[in-house]
Amino acid sequence: MSGVGDAHPCARCAYVLPWTHTPLTLIIIIDAIALFPLSLMFFFVSIQPMASKTEKITTSSTAEYFSKNLQQVGFSSQVKAVLTTLKEAVDNALDACEEGGILPEVTVWVEKVGPGSLKNSDQIRVKVEDNGPGIEADDVPKVFGEYLASSKFGRGRCSRGQQGIGISAATTWAQLTCAVGARVITKTSKMRKALSTLVEVDIKNNKGVLREKETIDWDREHGTSVEFLIDGRIQLNGEAGLLNYLNGTTLVNPHLTLKYHLPDTEPLTVERVSMVVPEIPPATEPHPHTLKLGEFIAHSHLFGRITVNAWLKKGFSRVHEGVIKELVQAGIKKSLLEKSVDSTSEADFKQVFTGLQNLQLMAPSTKSVLSIGEDALAKSIKRLGDIDFFSVMTRKPAICDFKPVQVEVAIARLKEKSSEAETPVQVLRFANRVPLQFDKAACAIFHSIQSVNWRTYGLVQPKDSLPQGPYIIAVSVVSPFIKFKNASKETVDASDELVEEIRRALIQAGQRLSKHIRKEDKANELEEKIRHIEQFCPILVEGLCRITKAPEIRKKRAEEGLIKLLGRDARTTEKELEEAHAILEEHQEKNLEKQKNEAEVI
Amino acid sequence: MARTDHEIPKMSKELCSRLLADLEKAKRPVLYATKCSLDNSRYDAKVGYLTPGPKKVATELNVSSVKKMSRAIFMLEILLMKLETAAVHTKRELYYISKGEIKHNPHLKPLDFADQDESDEIIDFICELLECYREDLNCYANDRGGQTYAQQLIVTETLPDGDKAVIDLSKLGTTPFQPKNRPQNLKLSSKKKIDFCLIVESEGTANTLAANGFTKRNNAILMGAQGVPSNGVRGWCKLIQDQLKVPLYFFGDLDAYTVQNIFRTLKAGSAASLIRNSDFSAPDVKFLGVLPEDIKKYDLNDYPVKENDAQEVRSLKKAQDALKNDPFFHDKRNKGLSQILKWLLANKRRCEQQAYFTVAPRDPTMPEKIIVDKIKRGEYY
Repeated sequence: MSGVGDAHPCARCAYVLPWTHTPLTLIIIIDAIALFPLSLMFFFVSIQPMASKTEKITTSSTAEYFSKNLQQVGFSSQVKAVLTTLKEAVDNALDACEEGGILPEVTVWVEKVGPGSLKNSDQIRVKVEDNGPGIEADDVPKVFGEYLASSKFGRGRCSRGQQGIGISAATTWAQLTCAVGARVITKTSKMRKALSTLVEVDIKNNKGVLREKETIDWDREHGTSVEFLIDGRIQLNGEAGLLNYLNGTTLVNPHLTLKYHLPDTEPLTVERVSMVVPEIPPATEPHPHTLKLGEFIAHSHLFGRITVNAWLKKGFSRVHEGVIKELVQAGIKKSLLEKSVDSTSEADFKQVFTGLQNLQLMAPSTKSVLSIGEDALAKSIKRLGDIDFFSVMTRKPAICDFKPVQVEVAIARLKEKSSEAETPVQVLRFANRVPLQFDKAACAIFHSIQSVNWRTYGLVQPKDSLPQGPYIIAVSVVSPFIKFKNASKETVDASDELVEEIRRALIQAGQRLSKHIRKEDKANELEEKIRHIEQFCPILVEGLCRITKAPEIRKKRAEEGLIKLLGRDARTTEKELEEAHAILEEHQEKNLEKQKNEAEVI
Repeated sequence: MARTDHEIPKMSKELCSRLLADLEKAKRPVLYATKCSLDNSRYDAKVGYLTPGPKKVATELNVSSVKKMSRAIFMLEILLMKLETAAVHTKRELYYISKGEIKHNPHLKPLDFADQDESDEIIDFICELLECYREDLNCYANDRGGQTYAQQLIVTETLPDGDKAVIDLSKLGTTPFQPKNRPQNLKLSSKKKIDFCLIVESEGTANTLAANGFTKRNNAILMGAQGVPSNGVRGWCKLIQDQLKVPLYFFGDLDAYTVQNIFRTLKAGSAASLIRNSDFSAPDVKFLGVLPEDIKKYDLNDYPVKENDAQEVRSLKKAQDALKNDPFFHDKRNKGLSQILKWLLANKRRCEQQAYFTVAPRDPTMPEKIIVDKIKRGEYY
């Protein structure tokens, strides 16, 4: 038996899986996906049985791997396939508009065009059109047909897409199920005519291939239209429904105008409520405490011939002259810090790395996170339906697990409340402004909502469960380094620090919401008291008069006296209601003033 | 203190008159009821039963209480009507009667009871307001327990029409006499001197003793309590104690529930019924056994309390509370009983009354012999 580790051609491989006699494909991943994008690398090693007892090791392309494992990136069922395709196309459109500083106007078509080739499936057309800056002709095959080709890859910014997998996976799904790739029309402002083409993935070589390429007249200055013909099934309602996704997307993108055409529903246009294109803050350098040794060494390769000292100060956040001095005091030789990074040995890197880990450094900067803002959220939440009242909360950026994070919460009560009194609240989860619609039980957001005692704020909540009632609780987590549980980015990992940060945001939003509920309770109490007076006063007095055989005149006097008495109680409640109302108004005025001040600053 | 049929309507009218007068003056009426709880219980061994302390529960008429008060006046009116016609009902029947009244008078719809618990609560509230028994309002529970065997006892019952019924228990054969829930209407006499009255916790064991000739061999009254004594059993024991002046002995299981709940209620009444303990407790009754020392003396089969049995664990906890807070167990004259509770808590064992049958398994009269022997030797608390 020979060990694959011995024969492995790649010296950078960190993990070697146990050898077995059976033919199999080994996937060796050097670093965790998306946690630190610098080092996301895939190696696929196949062991093929040969005529002799030794076996041949071959490599496979990324596209080949994903084409066989599309379930890992959101294509695990026919319903999910439609949603994921739509989601990837819309995410790309929104990211492109924001990059270009354009207020996005996105139009979506999803329709059934016939029976699908897979069992129990339909053939679905998913088309998304945006007014973004368009794509240069050379970039079109990379964007839609090549895995891990991304303009955002490794930049540490809060964009929706990160790795360049999603849209290529959608093209692959279309290609596998309907034998047609993605139909793309795109035009930049520099182009006189638009480019219309069919993009396919060359699975063997992980390359995008353009077919039926032509230039056409397009009635817009710039933009992109992408159309997929895929096998799948359309689910409109429910947590995994298309409507839930589109509603969520409009909520966290107040600047978006979204038009959609879905089967069995009237075409709808949701107008934007904000004219400000969110500016994605630039990425900050990595913090030494967020890296592993391998990443630390790999990071040095990006800087060419500079000294370790200069590299540390230039390549990392929170490392400055003071930190270098502390390193020296901790036993790192000055001569080592003066060495060039390309001539530093692994042992020396390890020494510096360990030294840094043992130092108390300032927490990473929170400047790289992006917030939607309370004002925009407040306007946007009204687009979700008929809202009774709502509260929004934007927390200050914080550091969780050494990564900057910003949490925002919006809670709204829908007007149609009687029918949904005992059903759990609707939870909308967002990570980097992308709705998360699956596997909620393991999600940090879900854990946080359950951990809050909502009864304090006037909501009904069974033990260890979600609160109940016609409420929507929307939680957005924004971070350049969101720790997802899987490659399809459906669940945010529930670390204690993140759960606590989300929980705090929820508590603050709950406190704001309770002002509305308190006012409503007082109003109900008053109504109940008035109803009690009207109902029971005559009955009580009549009963007393019958037992005592009192004359009519006594009855009249007693009725008047009782109304007077109970009227006093009602007036007390009325006063309490006025107080609750005043508190709420004061809170709303304060908020308005705060928003005005913020607007002035902007 | 039991109220007569005339007292209740009079007191009710006075109460309603006071309420009405207050309302005419737009003054907030307040109703006071005795607080029936352990923290308002007093025990004096000379009195012999738990009596109410000074605490009262005040119900002020306001928007929140107007519904409860309206319901109380509505139910009081029904009860007064029933008293007038001498009609007798159970709580369940009164619940349906109130529903019927509301059905025929939709104007009363806001008073409607959602379930019997709600109407029961209002009936109890009326009792507390008038400081009377439920039975005084002609509202009776099912007769339960108290099946009595005796060869010497004669019961004279005054019937509602004034006639008298005389029952000679020796003429009933194997059928026991069943006391009513309001035994105050009964008069007792004996054909021959009665030596003692034995109250047995288990009705089945009482039947066995009777069938084996207990009452033929002993000049005694034999009674089955059937678990926690009902008002009927409690009042019946009080009657036997007061009218026949015979010693009473209680024979039951050796466990916390029997001592702290069944026997204490029979002897001194309960905290929940503070206002009627005077007529529903027999302070002279003694605890004959099973006693902790009997286990060794007669080599009885006892067994440990099951730690996973919620009811038994709860009983032990209640026994602990009783030793701490119950004035009955604080009294030095009941030291023997509190010692038994302490023994039960310390040893966590129990022994059933039927264990006496293990002493001589082929002699069905052995339990009787032990009981009589214990009475003669004065082995009781």
